[in-house]
Amino acid sequence: MSTAMVRIRVLLARPWIWSFLGALAVWLAAELFTGGQGAGELLTATLSFAVFMVIVGIGQMFVISTGPGNVDLSIPATIALTGAVAMKTMGGADAMILPGMLAALAAGAFVGACNYGLIRLLRIPPIIATMSANFLVMSTAIAYGRGLKVKPPPLFADFTTAQVAGIPVLAICTAIFAAVMGVVLHRTVYGRSVHAIGQNRRAARLAGVAVDRTRFLVYVLSATFAGLCGALLAGFSGGSSLSAGETYLLASIAVVVIGGTSVAGGRGNVPGIWGAALFMYLLEAMLNTYGAGAGLRLILTGLIIILVITIAGGDRPQR
Amino acid sequence: MTGKKTLVAAVAVTLALGAGTALADTAAKKIALSNNYAGNSWRQAMLKSWDKVTKKAVADGIVAEASAFTTAENQATEQAAQIQNMILQGYDAIVLNAASPTALNGAVKQACDAGIVVVSFDGVVTEPCAWRIAVDFKKMGAIQLDYLAKRMPKGGNVLEIRGLAGVFVDDEIHAGIEAGVKKNAQFKIVGSVHGDWAQEVAQKAVAGILPSLPQVDAVVTQGGDGYGAAQAFKAAGRPIPLIIMGNRQDELTWWKEQKDANGYETMSVSIAPGVGTLAFWVAQQILDGVDVPKDMIVPFLQIDQGNLEANLATTEAGGVANVEYSLDDAKKAIASTK
Repeated sequence: MSTAMVRIRVLLARPWIWSFLGALAVWLAAELFTGGQGAGELLTATLSFAVFMVIVGIGQMFVISTGPGNVDLSIPATIALTGAVAMKTMGGADAMILPGMLAALAAGAFVGACNYGLIRLLRIPPIIATMSANFLVMSTAIAYGRGLKVKPPPLFADFTTAQVAGIPVLAICTAIFAAVMGVVLHRTVYGRSVHAIGQNRRAARLAGVAVDRTRFLVYVLSATFAGLCGALLAGFSGGSSLSAGETYLLASIAVVVIGGTSVAGGRGNVPGIWGAALFMYLLEAMLNTYGAGAGLRLILTGLIIILVITIAGGDRPQR
Repeated sequence: MTGKKTLVAAVAVTLALGAGTALADTAAKKIALSNNYAGNSWRQAMLKSWDKVTKKAVADGIVAEASAFTTAENQATEQAAQIQNMILQGYDAIVLNAASPTALNGAVKQACDAGIVVVSFDGVVTEPCAWRIAVDFKKMGAIQLDYLAKRMPKGGNVLEIRGLAGVFVDDEIHAGIEAGVKKNAQFKIVGSVHGDWAQEVAQKAVAGILPSLPQVDAVVTQGGDGYGAAQAFKAAGRPIPLIIMGNRQDELTWWKEQKDANGYETMSVSIAPGVGTLAFWVAQQILDGVDVPKDMIVPFLQIDQGNLEANLATTEAGGVANVEYSLDDAKKAIASTK
């Protein structure tokens, strides 16, 4: 076997490669229809919107990696609330950008802490706890913002929409952010602890892993990232709104799973989230380009996601 | 003391209703609002209008109670259960913005059988025993094309932003737009996306389809999506086409900015969230013994280049351009339907 073949084999064994291949295939399919017109612009648009999915996806990935049943369903409301918190704190003034960001992150972290409080202290399963938290946070967002759309400060709006040679600045920042989180997941004691808990919580505890602290932190992390997403999204789309986070509930889980993270926990994957976020956006854009009706589009979206996961899920059974 | 108050109120109501009508005996009546969703600016404005108008009606002694209830999940089953609760709680009338035109019919029928007046609006129900205050959504789609035909006699490429897939309002407006394109054949729909009546969703969907489209001359919308579309065109570095707006404050503000900067001209059309208050008065009138036709059509609220500033001034930040109905407005609306 030549070394090139070996390289390809090694590459194909990576769980994340399939989401990128899927994204590439969908992009080519879209360009086939338009004859290559606007290929670059489509990539720019894709990168602009994938950023937000990646940010919440990484948080969700940490949660899902801690084992079966762990999921954060409070992301949509957290995005709505933190977007409003960020915009209201900034109040349209450039000088208040930093305090606004910090306030959004703090609000997110607080939601995360409450989530884990419900899970640990009241012993509610995460799926129920975070779902109820979603309602509570949404009500808070409604009461706090009253559906108010406060414009972002000009500097913040410019930053969130800025591009360098067709590449959104936010995408570059998020790529660096993802790389850092990849290192955290795979190279630090904390990341290893997350995986250890996901593989077997009891064994991890017996091995001396601080299970409670680690789990507490993943929920805080996830909600804080949702806060980051909420603030940036509000800047990007010209103001916060109650419905800003609605599409990120299932999308955040989908990008994690399509990206090659094990739903059973214990095996997280950061690069795959990028591939999956690009894939998800391109898929919708491609189907829209082809003029598929809403019904057909949903069916095809479902089928194509199943296809990608089936192909990507070709890894050996673990035991 | 209380007796005196009631008497004063009853007299006041009788006077308010005028000598010709039947004696107002709705002072002891309880009306409930069953609402399926609260998560956007339109619904927030609707609930606010309801609160404002009904609070005054209760204070004036016209009705005893007018509480608003919103379901958490925007699901028909949940709303059916909510209606059943209202039946048990003994409300005299239920004003309903329904999650589904058909799925609530069972619960609505139960309410009717229990002698409860059911008035549906915006999201209306097909159950014959209920009243319907509907908007001519088809016309709302068709007039957009008529407006475009006036502005661009030569026609052009149109991008359509639809609402939430599977909801009948979306199908109706879409049908109206299709009819409009048929009538004004110089226009061609070059692309269609679902914006779910939300700025973020619309922005995302439009940004995705734009690269594949030829020059877009106009964008037809369903409301709540115009500002997002404008953002997407701006981000793509494309010239901003004529975008029909949907009466949201952010859309009107953006329009005003463009108008001042470069004379941008468009129109805006949507339903006033205050239609809920019309439904309230209709329910009150039915309880009062007034004969009201089962089907009423309410006009939509259209904003033009000329009255943009006036409408923007009365629309609160983050809200929707609104018209609240008084009892007299409701009476006029009922009379014009008869």
